[in-house]
Amino acid sequence: MTDTKKLLEGMHPFEIKVLQAFINNRKLSEDRIGEMTGLMESQVSMAIGWLQAKGIIELVEEEVAEMAALTEIGIRYADEKLPEIRILDWAKNEPGLTIGKLKEMHLLEPEELSSAIGALRGSGVIKIGQGGIIEIAQNDPIKFLMIQEFIKELDGNRRDKREYPIPKDKIKNEAIRLIYLEEYTANKRGGGEKPFKIIEKRRRIYAISGGKEDLLKDVEGLVAAEEVSQLTPLMLKDGSWRGKRFRRYNISLRPPRLSIGRKHPYREFLDQVKSRLVAMGFVEMRGPLVESEFWNMDALYMPQFHPAREIHDVYFVKKPGYSKEIDEPYLSQVAMTHNDGWKTGSRGWGYKFDKERARRLILRSQGTAVSARTLAGKPGIPGRYFSIARCFRYDQVDATHAPDFYQVEGIVLGEEINFRMLLGLLELFAVKMAGARDVRFLPAYFPFTEPSVELHVKHPGLGWMELGGAGLFRPEVTMPLGIRVPVIAWGLGLDRMAMIALGIEDIRDLFSTDLDMIRTKRVRI
Amino acid sequence: MPTITVKKRDLDRLFGIETNVDDLAVYLGLVKGEIKGYDPGQDDLKIELNDSNRPDLWSPEGIARQIKARLTGAPTEYPFFNKKAKSKVSINVSAGMKDIRPYIGGFIVRGVSLDDEMLTQLIQVQERLSSIFGRKRQVVSIGIYNLEKIVFPLHYKDAMPDEVRFVPLGFEEEMDLNEILSRHPKGIEYGGILRGHERYPVFVDNEGKVLSFPPIINSREIGEVRVGTSELFVEATGTDIRMILLTLNILAANLDDRGAAIEPVQVKYSFDTTAGRSLSIPYDLSKGMEVRLEDFEKVFGDSLDMMEIVRALTAYGYTVSARGKRMKVAVPPYRDDIMHTVDLVEDYAISRGYSTFRPLMPSTFSVGSLSEIESFSDRLRGYMVGFGFQEVITNILSSGDEQLRKMEIADGRLIEIENAMSLSYSVVRNSIIPSLLKVESSSSGAFYPHMVFELGEVGILDEKEMMGSRTENRLTAVTAHPQANFSGIHSYLDLLFYYTGRDYQLRPAAHPSFMEGRVGQVIVDGVEIGIIGEIHPQVLENWQINMPCSLFEISVEGLLWGLASPPPPAKPDGALRLSSASKPSPSTLV
Repeated sequence: MTDTKKLLEGMHPFEIKVLQAFINNRKLSEDRIGEMTGLMESQVSMAIGWLQAKGIIELVEEEVAEMAALTEIGIRYADEKLPEIRILDWAKNEPGLTIGKLKEMHLLEPEELSSAIGALRGSGVIKIGQGGIIEIAQNDPIKFLMIQEFIKELDGNRRDKREYPIPKDKIKNEAIRLIYLEEYTANKRGGGEKPFKIIEKRRRIYAISGGKEDLLKDVEGLVAAEEVSQLTPLMLKDGSWRGKRFRRYNISLRPPRLSIGRKHPYREFLDQVKSRLVAMGFVEMRGPLVESEFWNMDALYMPQFHPAREIHDVYFVKKPGYSKEIDEPYLSQVAMTHNDGWKTGSRGWGYKFDKERARRLILRSQGTAVSARTLAGKPGIPGRYFSIARCFRYDQVDATHAPDFYQVEGIVLGEEINFRMLLGLLELFAVKMAGARDVRFLPAYFPFTEPSVELHVKHPGLGWMELGGAGLFRPEVTMPLGIRVPVIAWGLGLDRMAMIALGIEDIRDLFSTDLDMIRTKRVRI
Repeated sequence: MPTITVKKRDLDRLFGIETNVDDLAVYLGLVKGEIKGYDPGQDDLKIELNDSNRPDLWSPEGIARQIKARLTGAPTEYPFFNKKAKSKVSINVSAGMKDIRPYIGGFIVRGVSLDDEMLTQLIQVQERLSSIFGRKRQVVSIGIYNLEKIVFPLHYKDAMPDEVRFVPLGFEEEMDLNEILSRHPKGIEYGGILRGHERYPVFVDNEGKVLSFPPIINSREIGEVRVGTSELFVEATGTDIRMILLTLNILAANLDDRGAAIEPVQVKYSFDTTAGRSLSIPYDLSKGMEVRLEDFEKVFGDSLDMMEIVRALTAYGYTVSARGKRMKVAVPPYRDDIMHTVDLVEDYAISRGYSTFRPLMPSTFSVGSLSEIESFSDRLRGYMVGFGFQEVITNILSSGDEQLRKMEIADGRLIEIENAMSLSYSVVRNSIIPSLLKVESSSSGAFYPHMVFELGEVGILDEKEMMGSRTENRLTAVTAHPQANFSGIHSYLDLLFYYTGRDYQLRPAAHPSFMEGRVGQVIVDGVEIGIIGEIHPQVLENWQINMPCSLFEISVEGLLWGLASPPPPAKPDGALRLSSASKPSPSTLV
């Protein structure tokens, strides 16, 4: 096999088509090649790229062509129509329409309105009568219709993803090409909001490289279709694959994108958390999204006058506003504990507990509500429990506050539980959840635990960060719910770690509705 | 909880030593405080204080007092808490105040020279105590006066609103109490506290000069304190006597720390209070607690040295005497947060330092597991991913517009939020279908086909439920591409039932969100557990979606347990399952 033949055999059909275009032409522009071969712009430039790489064709000239394209405003006018045309439509539909009235209606930006009125007057389409009345002087505003038509053409090209900017010298309408385009083109210094812009595009001209002209002879007879790109079942069945030429591939190209099935990246992260907790012996617990204040706060010994219980902190449910009767003896025992400490050894909060208020329904504001329910549900002792609970707070939604978010919380209960085991558990979390060996325990405050601890860890990538809070539930929490053993309550603040794992900076992106973003996010766990 | 700004040099002045910011950050652990920022130019130190039960710490004096005790090993002594101190002046409380705003207390401050920084801090701590601790002046409000202009004894009494006139702070003209409530900014802000009362509180001196109209505003003449004022009268009124006494104790201690001399004032009530009819203020509230060594040892799972506990508590501000294995502990008068022995135990641990305790691992063995519904949900997620669907996780809060109007649903019932912050997040979703259409609506730029699912929670109103609603898991899947249709999505639903080993039928249905004749209820054991169909073009238009969408939504509980059968028994290990979640009623499912 000659080298030439081998070279041609490995060529893509696009390359062959492009080479064939050169048979009777010494030099060709990209545009011209497109016209001659019927290939799309991107296909032409692909083929040229390959041929150039093989040294078969070369760039010989480059010239700059001015092309007309739409600005943002122009794209908008494609749907909305030019302000001039809209003003005419309104004036036709509403005789006696005044400029003042148009201003009040706020259908157009003030500058848009005044420049459109100016243009209409200038071309004699309208006159302005007394009191600013718009009078139509000429029913056939041909100039504006032509401009609108050209906007439509460009926009159509844009939407069809055809070659979209049109070279200035190829604009068919002479009036547009010679006069109006300039008038309606945004000037580069940013003056005025105009529908068109002129962009400069390089037009490249190619020729066959010296010494490669002979190739053209061999190309002449070749028909691109003769090449086989895909092996088919039929070829295998009838043996016709024998003697067929299979096109060689360029295997360095990027593969096409796939639409595939995949877990949400945040789910991958949460699954990891979940499986680590299960591996540490924790049983999952669940609770409802709509909670009573009783389980969300009263049972956690947060007094009913606690500042975090106000309407600026918690979402209240409109209807029904109250739950049914709360289970006894828990309600009475919690009420007595708030009043005077009941049998817990505490002096209590010293106020009159409102049992009605306890039934007030809210959206769960903390995962600890699920723990409170579990304590009252006669849990196994010793036992370890966790929940990943969606919670809601009255917060302005921004980069650090999502309208709803997950809290990872849990409890450990048992006869042997004490403060040092709480520290031990937190050390374990530091290693298992954050891969951190260095920890700091700082005093903390939670209304339902004493002693309370904040866990800070030295994350391998992030440095010192707060990983969670924990404590021993106060006897005022456990005893009214029928628990006689010490209970560790813990919560992990994993949002920040999740955001780092997903490479995002705005917490709202954890719950994004942007499919492209979700599909392309990787998780570093 | 409050974040306060103090001058670092002011803190240093109170400590009596110069500190650096790094050391301070460590010391602040003793007060559960965190440095939120330091501006060396202004010398401004921003400190967040996390303990909502320690109003005594919400000032530079309080912070310094707590840390200083640790540095010196002993608490600051305040002579004026000595109960034998004789008060020479008094406040009389009228019988009528009992039902309006019953309690008052006050003390005299001498020999203070108020500089700029002190005055700023005094006003700020007054503001914090009355707004946060005093619940926006409802329970406690504070007044500070120029002592020189007051003639004792004072009278805290009830009056008709038009009976009393005086010039309030911030104004030039005399007003009566009604005028103050309707015209003065503070009257407008706090007038609600007095609503429903015919008579209002006034505080006057023996010559009938008005000191203030509690809890609204001071008089301009007596109640204006300036830099350079050296003698003050401090007063607090409110509805909770304990909280008033504590507030005054904190203020007295703070002023003492600034070098002032505090003189007591006697309050004489015409009615009974829990502290008696006549009391001298500042008033030591604490009764002293008896605690046992074993109360401490139990919490730490270790044997402890009694003397070491005494030392640590003393260095945290307590006065402790030990006898055998028992201790008598007096809580400092500026604190009232010790409700239980555990509170003392924590203070001991803080004073000793958390890092001095050796962590232990819980030694009992336990078997971890997911809830039944969650592990089933994970299984379903696995199938959906295998079928080629991309999972999404979206917000549970939504709007009526998204849940109903855009879905063309006329009579839907939703869990609504009474105090929604924005309309966009004002209801709990009762279906995931709108969430997925929202994804479609914002993803026309993502290449097709779109095959998307979410398995997550929804909230369904149900008056039979304890909470008036129930939480349910739903699995919802959508296909969106030019050929998306019923039979395409049906194939996936069918596979899902096949792999989970359930039987189902589809029953033709009518639903405003779907195209007529291309929608069906998913029936298991004769009960509807979901819906499947092609989304109505009107709905697509409402969402501005330019691509056909077919989808299904099924109840995960319905698929797992079957809605017709009774809920399964609770798991023996005590793990909770939502008993309510297993029985959605067909009428409210979609």
